[in-house]
Amino acid sequence: MMADRRRINGPPGGTRPAVFASNSQSGTGATTRAQRQRQPSELRKIFLKTGLIPTASGSSYLEFEPSASLAAARANPKSLIPPSSALKLACTVHGPKPLPRSAAFSPNLVLTTHVKYAPFAARRRKGHIRDSSERDLGVHLETALRGAIIAERWPKSGLDITITILEAEDDRWWGDAPDSHDASWGMMNVLAGCITAASAAIADAHIDCLDLVAGGVAALVSDESAGSSAAPKLMLDTDPAEHRSILSACVVGYMPARDEITELWLKGDSSKASLEDGDKRTGHEALIDGAVDAARGAHTVLAEAVRESLLSAVGQL
Amino acid sequence: MAAPEAKVAPSIPPSLSLPPSQFARLQPHAYLLAHLSPPPASNQPSIRANGRAPSQFRVTSANAGSLTHTNGSAVVRIGDTAAVCGVRAELLHTEDIASWSVSQASGSHKRRRLADLGKKSAEEDEEDEEDDEEDRAHIEDLNLLVPNLSLSTGCAPGFIPGAPPSALAQSLSHQILSLLHSTRLVRADDLRIWYQPPNLGPEEPERHNEDEQMDMDAEHSPTSESKPREIKAFWVLYIDVMIISLAGNPFDAAWAAVLAALRDTKLPKAWWDVDNETILCSDNISDARKLCLRGLPVASSFGVFEADAAAGWRPNVIPDAEEQKAQDQKRKKGSQQSWILADPDGYEEGLSQERACIVVDKEQGGKGKTVIMKMEKHGGWTVDTEELRQLVDISARRWDEMKRMLDQC
Amino acid sequence: MPSGAGNTMSTSLPPVAIPGQRLGSVSVYAAGPGTHVQQANIYASIAGPVVVDPAQPKTQTKSTLRVSRILPGISQDVVAAPLAPAKPKPRYNTLPAVDSIVLARVTRVQKRQATVSILVVLDNATASTGDLSKLASDNDNVASILTSAANPENHSSTDELRFQALIRKEDVRAVEKDRVVMDEMFRVGDIVRGSVISLGDQSFYYLTTARNDLGVVMARSEAGNMMFPVSWKEMRDPVTGTGEQRKVARPF
Repeated sequence: MMADRRRINGPPGGTRPAVFASNSQSGTGATTRAQRQRQPSELRKIFLKTGLIPTASGSSYLEFEPSASLAAARANPKSLIPPSSALKLACTVHGPKPLPRSAAFSPNLVLTTHVKYAPFAARRRKGHIRDSSERDLGVHLETALRGAIIAERWPKSGLDITITILEAEDDRWWGDAPDSHDASWGMMNVLAGCITAASAAIADAHIDCLDLVAGGVAALVSDESAGSSAAPKLMLDTDPAEHRSILSACVVGYMPARDEITELWLKGDSSKASLEDGDKRTGHEALIDGAVDAARGAHTVLAEAVRESLLSAVGQL
Repeated sequence: MAAPEAKVAPSIPPSLSLPPSQFARLQPHAYLLAHLSPPPASNQPSIRANGRAPSQFRVTSANAGSLTHTNGSAVVRIGDTAAVCGVRAELLHTEDIASWSVSQASGSHKRRRLADLGKKSAEEDEEDEEDDEEDRAHIEDLNLLVPNLSLSTGCAPGFIPGAPPSALAQSLSHQILSLLHSTRLVRADDLRIWYQPPNLGPEEPERHNEDEQMDMDAEHSPTSESKPREIKAFWVLYIDVMIISLAGNPFDAAWAAVLAALRDTKLPKAWWDVDNETILCSDNISDARKLCLRGLPVASSFGVFEADAAAGWRPNVIPDAEEQKAQDQKRKKGSQQSWILADPDGYEEGLSQERACIVVDKEQGGKGKTVIMKMEKHGGWTVDTEELRQLVDISARRWDEMKRMLDQC
Repeated sequence: MPSGAGNTMSTSLPPVAIPGQRLGSVSVYAAGPGTHVQQANIYASIAGPVVVDPAQPKTQTKSTLRVSRILPGISQDVVAAPLAPAKPKPRYNTLPAVDSIVLARVTRVQKRQATVSILVVLDNATASTGDLSKLASDNDNVASILTSAANPENHSSTDELRFQALIRKEDVRAVEKDRVVMDEMFRVGDIVRGSVISLGDQSFYYLTTARNDLGVVMARSEAGNMMFPVSWKEMRDPVTGTGEQRKVARPF
């Protein structure tokens, strides 16, 4: 690989991530899988604040509440291996600003989205150059937002939305072999967080929108205790580190005022899944309903954050 | 230049009647100058447009250890400039180093490493000197410290996300690297992973060569040790700084974040596993140890604002002694020509050509004398020796402030 | 919850609204800026104070409901205490629109046109009153300017981030249009007050200065000193006393 001369490079031979010795005897408890302590429809709390980055026209910072196991590990640290992680990201909006000279005339606002993980955001060190999953996230985010923005109010101008992920969600429990699951489930949670945070930042920038658009995730999880024969369970706001087997998952961008989905992304196989008795919905119907419910929950946080910053600006707080 | 303007003011399209917001944007230089040089009659002190006194830094806060997937992390805010730093440690096996030889691996380090960690601190100072060269060689030549700073975070308009590092980002990364090297903040010894091969009978015949080598410093090698210890791997610290919000003076914020994150960094206990021929680590947090950093170098940056907007375009004449005196007198009379602004914000940075950066440390954790670790100045000739001395004093006061804050975070 | 009797809802308007919040029915109000209509209801499109503009007797039958981009307190603060430390305040964006009055810096003067970079978009409503002191446009308060770093890397490239506009030769002044020599109207670096005549093409807005109150408002002489206007086509350097030609805006 060519050394990147614009960055400071490590040892030319490369480095290896630390390998932990079989830790059964270390007594740190890191070998036990994190367990979901929430009810299936209970969402994690979200910390969301707008306007923290004054150099941008709009900005927001979002954090998911750490899972019970992560909170416990932080309060009483025993192992260097974190049981799970909690999303942390910063979003900025720049614009409306002139389109580049080379761009064609546009009667509408031209939206550009960038999602980038910090190198230290995930369990594996991320590269400095955007990889395909980061590009993917950018495209999904753009779709989610484009349906909410009233673009014709901002002719011939551009809006740049940039998200820096400081801490990502795990794709699976760290102790599972990397290829034991097919999908990178953590990305779905990251996308949900990106949608909610970007919507807050856009509102902070006073760009006209139909509604605040919130992100939500639901997943079909096969119940571990009851064995593999049991019907899969619908769980909202799943933390992939807390589940042994996620069959499929869905993330939506949702506008409650219009009951409209601006972005839908479904991964995994939900067709074969038969739900519990009495639930006549197909697997993907249930998933979408669940994701919308999760988005409704995120929307209340989003609305509160936007209202709070508005009131403090008006001076009523 | 300001004086004649003032006299004819009534006939000028009253630019001052513009609301300050427009004045600030249309005539940034005059706007800042009006703040810094209030009319003598008003008896007002010289205050910057942002409300700070010239030597005043912005409110600074730091918070360490909040990022899950790092060995150490910190968030530092200086006013509206915010930097997040994460330190990630990975392993560099000596077998992956092309130029590595066994003599390098065993070196002259036996006694020190055998001394237990508790005693280490007492010996530290004396041993520091002799370690210097090898310390430097290992850290610098093997690239064990890898700082990179990113501005492509949407931190300010004008930095395109997804683009390669801008010239400013590259320059800041290099400044951090060279300061890490020149302050020798991180000890190479903290990054070395040693292996003591067992003394096995069948290997006896082979030992001759090595014995000869060891004889040279035989007094250092305890008799119980029959085979030299060797370095099997190094920790490499990837030090990544994300500037989340940029409103001037990114370097001070980035360096403070690096410093706080390194102070927070814990490395797991690691050993050479003979069976697997690899390095294994313990995840037990009580086995891990913090880095033992050398001192607490704190960076303070300054910008110089010239009353004469066109100063940068005037011919560069070295004033002779007489002229110098006349100028000094003029300065004393109160018609100040330039201001040195501590911790400039983005607006002030855009208006100052000359910059200075001073890095100081204090010996014995603040009780000892102030040591200048780095002094850098470019872009003009306003800051002279006398002023540099003042800047060092300001930087020393800043050190106290930063120390208090970093001790708390 | 929206009830069927939309007419009686007029008193229950919220003081502030966030995007997607239902404000009232189109049977009662007309939808103004910062709102949009969906299924006969008016919804807020931005976060801000809700304002009802009374119906104008001749042209309208309904009051107009809008969500304001301007937060109370900002402009007053700035004017009252111009040298007080600027408090961080939210900043909002104003795009140049047709008839907007803008302040722009001349970046290039050619034979047939001058290129300018728009620095400030003055608020349409207040601009017509001519009272400059109340003109703090909503995209533009001191705190935001001070914090928004001019790109520290390359000072000149900030023009890339600003909207560009052209003043064509025929739009410079209303009289003697055929005798306009661009070099005698504008110089690079001048600050010009202009009015937007069209959104133009993909890269430029079009401005006019063909009014007495439009034209150069600030200029430096060749010697580098700030000049003052002496007539509608001349400005003078107070230090050297030399005059220079410009299309001068009438000073207030």
